[in-house]
Amino acid sequence: MSGKGIRIEGLTKRYGRGDTAVDALKGVDMQVAPGEVVGLIGPSGSGKSTLLKCLGAVIEPTAGRMILGDEVIYDDGWRVGDLRALRRDRIGFVFQAPYLIPFLDVTDNVALLPMLAGQPNAESRRRALELLQGLDVQHRARAMPSQLSGGEQQRVAIARGLVNRPPVILADEPTAPLDSERALGVMRILNRMARRFETAIIVVTHDEKIIPTFRRIYHIRDGVTYEEAGQGRGFD
Amino acid sequence: MKRLPIQGRTLGLLAVLLPLLGLFVYVAVRSGPLAPVPVTLATVEEHTLSPALFGIGTVEARYRYRIGPTVAGRVKRLEVQVGDRVRAGQLLGEMEPVDLEARLLAQAAALKRARAQLREAEAAHAYARSQALRYEKLLAAHTVSEEVVAGKRQERLLTGAALDGAREELVRVGAEQEALQAQRDNLQLVAPAAGLVTLRGADPGTTVVAGQAVVELIDTNSLWINVRFNQTEAQGLRAALPAGIVLRSRAGQRLAGQVLRVEPLADQVTEETLAKVSFARLPDPLPPLGELAEVTVSLPGLPSAPVIPNAAIQRVKGRLGVWQVSGGDLRFTPVELGVAGLDGRVQVRVGLRSGDRIVVYSARALSARSRITPVERLSGAGS
Amino acid sequence: MISLAGRDILHAWGKFVFTGIGLGLLIGVTLTMAGVYRGMVDDARVLLDNSGADLWVVQRDTLGPYAESSSLHDDVWRGVRGLPGVARVANVTYLTMQVRQGERDVRAMVTGITAGEPGLPGWPPRLVAGRQITRGHFEAVADVASGFKLGERIQIRRNAYRVVGLTRRMVSSSGDPMVFIPLRDAQEAQFLKDNEAIRQERRRTADNPAFNRPGVPGLLDAVINSQSSNPYVNAVLVQLAPGHAAATVADSIRRWKRLTVYTRPQMEEILVGKLIATSARQIGMFLVILAIVSAAIVAFIIYTLTLGKIREIAVLKLIGTRNRTIAALILQQAIALGVIGFAVGKITATFWAPVFPKYVLLLPLDSVIGFGAVVVICVLASVIAIRAALKVDPAEAIGG
Repeated sequence: MSGKGIRIEGLTKRYGRGDTAVDALKGVDMQVAPGEVVGLIGPSGSGKSTLLKCLGAVIEPTAGRMILGDEVIYDDGWRVGDLRALRRDRIGFVFQAPYLIPFLDVTDNVALLPMLAGQPNAESRRRALELLQGLDVQHRARAMPSQLSGGEQQRVAIARGLVNRPPVILADEPTAPLDSERALGVMRILNRMARRFETAIIVVTHDEKIIPTFRRIYHIRDGVTYEEAGQGRGFD
Repeated sequence: MKRLPIQGRTLGLLAVLLPLLGLFVYVAVRSGPLAPVPVTLATVEEHTLSPALFGIGTVEARYRYRIGPTVAGRVKRLEVQVGDRVRAGQLLGEMEPVDLEARLLAQAAALKRARAQLREAEAAHAYARSQALRYEKLLAAHTVSEEVVAGKRQERLLTGAALDGAREELVRVGAEQEALQAQRDNLQLVAPAAGLVTLRGADPGTTVVAGQAVVELIDTNSLWINVRFNQTEAQGLRAALPAGIVLRSRAGQRLAGQVLRVEPLADQVTEETLAKVSFARLPDPLPPLGELAEVTVSLPGLPSAPVIPNAAIQRVKGRLGVWQVSGGDLRFTPVELGVAGLDGRVQVRVGLRSGDRIVVYSARALSARSRITPVERLSGAGS
Repeated sequence: MISLAGRDILHAWGKFVFTGIGLGLLIGVTLTMAGVYRGMVDDARVLLDNSGADLWVVQRDTLGPYAESSSLHDDVWRGVRGLPGVARVANVTYLTMQVRQGERDVRAMVTGITAGEPGLPGWPPRLVAGRQITRGHFEAVADVASGFKLGERIQIRRNAYRVVGLTRRMVSSSGDPMVFIPLRDAQEAQFLKDNEAIRQERRRTADNPAFNRPGVPGLLDAVINSQSSNPYVNAVLVQLAPGHAAATVADSIRRWKRLTVYTRPQMEEILVGKLIATSARQIGMFLVILAIVSAAIVAFIIYTLTLGKIREIAVLKLIGTRNRTIAALILQQAIALGVIGFAVGKITATFWAPVFPKYVLLLPLDSVIGFGAVVVICVLASVIAIRAALKVDPAEAIGG
């Protein structure tokens, strides 16, 4: 399922029109290879959220290109037809809060995506269990999200993000509510998963605890990204 | 073990939803047209039936005397009160004679005068006869003229006529006196038979017209009941049948009696047959006249025949019949009914045999397609 | 494919079931309301059914005997009986009055039935206990709704009657239980009110010098006698001989007897169309309002349930759930709520219907219509919630 990571070139996003137009993104370039975990750091109002939404195929950029694996998603105003299916099948999301579906148990929370994509229930659940096993939460497979601890919830959320083997996972402040030990744990898992599933993972964060773990960091400021080498070694 | 929470939830939901579903099905099946009709069944049995007729009537007296004056007058005295028993010939009261005595006196005087006139006429006639005789002799001796003798003869004839007149006058005056006498006698109100005073229509001093009853008597031994039977329910009514009488004032007490006669005239306005029923023994105290009485006339018992309760009888499409149950099937059997008893049982002449099972009570209208559940007693029917 | 709606219901079944029960009680009220209307119509119908008549002969130009007072001489039936096509006729009187039993007072429609045999028009067609009247006087068959028991003595005006039989669902068009007594007694009961009234009437007559002449001794008695008899009945019930059309026979009675005649459909029109029309419209209005209230409540409930899930919906949308799936989630929940509500409503309506003082008739067809209406209302009510859900921006899930 792995692709060739994600690549964006000159991504621009303009809100509004004419005199009141604001450029949130002013030609962002970014590339994340499969198996790589990069950080995306920026202050509020830097265009970080907008970039994330563009990457997540929730909003369309005004201009620029985005290539996911070997598929062109945007190209200067053109976009692929079904963003929804794209989100479902090719992008994984991990949020600050886990946002698990409260009325589904752990397995089904993870299995939901393949199910929605039309996979048989049994097959979807088998894949979910496999993932949960890999994330060491298989013992809570039948529990409801409300019965899990914060770390466990986040691991289930990661499993959900991974279940369709997407070429890219967008993680939005995945460690914010966690203490440093657990935050590092999550980062360890993300790194492991990225390598295992050949997935490019972009972690949006301003969590000081985990910044040192990135090998590569994109800083975004005023709608422009600057690449920087990180200190981390990626939990090898 | 980890599965338990979910299972608990599911069980909880089932615990609520399953009874709900069960109730719903129960409600859907047990009410509405799908539900079977509860009925009670009975078996047709051979039974003798003592039919009876039921009518109501009033206590009346067979002989009732209304006593009053023959001419208008004023009541002078009245000796009896309502409730008094009187003998035959007993003086009950008297009317005021008013001027009758005076007229009687006048009449007596007139009689005397008539007698005196008679005597006078007799004397005059005797004299005229002797005179006529003497002159006849004288004529024979030719001492008087023919003419004088003729005069004397005429005188004799005249006085004879006067004498006849005086005699008739005496008879007339005598008769007149007798009439007045009779009138005076009639002022007395006399009981024609022994009986009980039931009405005192006027008190002394009241003026009454001729024919108005001042006193009413009944013959207590002649009390009977004038009973009215609905014409549709008077079949078999005839004289000499035994009857049970329940007076309204003595509801629990059944008095024996018998039908005295069935009136030849029916009441065509009320469509009723009338009959008189007499008491076997007069009740004591006597019931007041006009009291309502319920009369049950027992007809002779009938030979044993299949009988059914009248509650089972239905009319379907214009035909009288019953719902018969045979082998779990329901079908309408037309019947021909015979005599009915007052207890609600009816003889069946044609249509059913003893041993047949029929529906007596049903909670709803039945049709040949109805499903039924036989029950002991319909709910709500009480005891 | 997984049923999101089912899982959500399973997850919060307590809330869901209790909401459903609450809604169900409301639906139960609505069904009962419809049942009350059906009961009124049914009361009118059973009155006609139970009379066993094909034609009603009443006083000229009246809507009698149920909707308007009507009085006929009690020998009119003889002339009607002779007409071709008439199989059976019977006089009948109807009078709604108080019937006493011991200390109790029951309002009942006292029906005077012609002496004869069971099956005559006017007679109670079915009993649930006891027997039919066999005596021409002082026996009564009462409806169980009156509360009278077999063997009890009841007082109607001046006379006491023994209850010999019981019926069920023999009611007047206004739902009063019927009490059947022999016609003669009923005529008397209609006319002779009570002893005091009779005495006063007699005194009045006696005080009238025209009736109480000194020279004519029997006159007063004759006048009083004629005053205290009642040769009237309210209607003549006619059963047709087989093969004769009601309209034809009715026409010939109208033409030759100069009386007003109603056939069964006309009578039903009078009872249902005139007598209970206003009440029916009243109930109809109530039904409409209840339906609107139910719809509003379902809409509120569904909307609130949906708003409570807005976060999840945003996540679902972000991870690529189709709108159809989300709409189906809400719609299925709304319908499930409706189904639970309907079941609860139907059950409660059935169980509390017999407690109502008047007859509540729950027709299966009404239930089916009600079910359809509930589903439609739930679907419509969920539209608002679905719109709200579809408007949710998937971007909301990304903390943005």
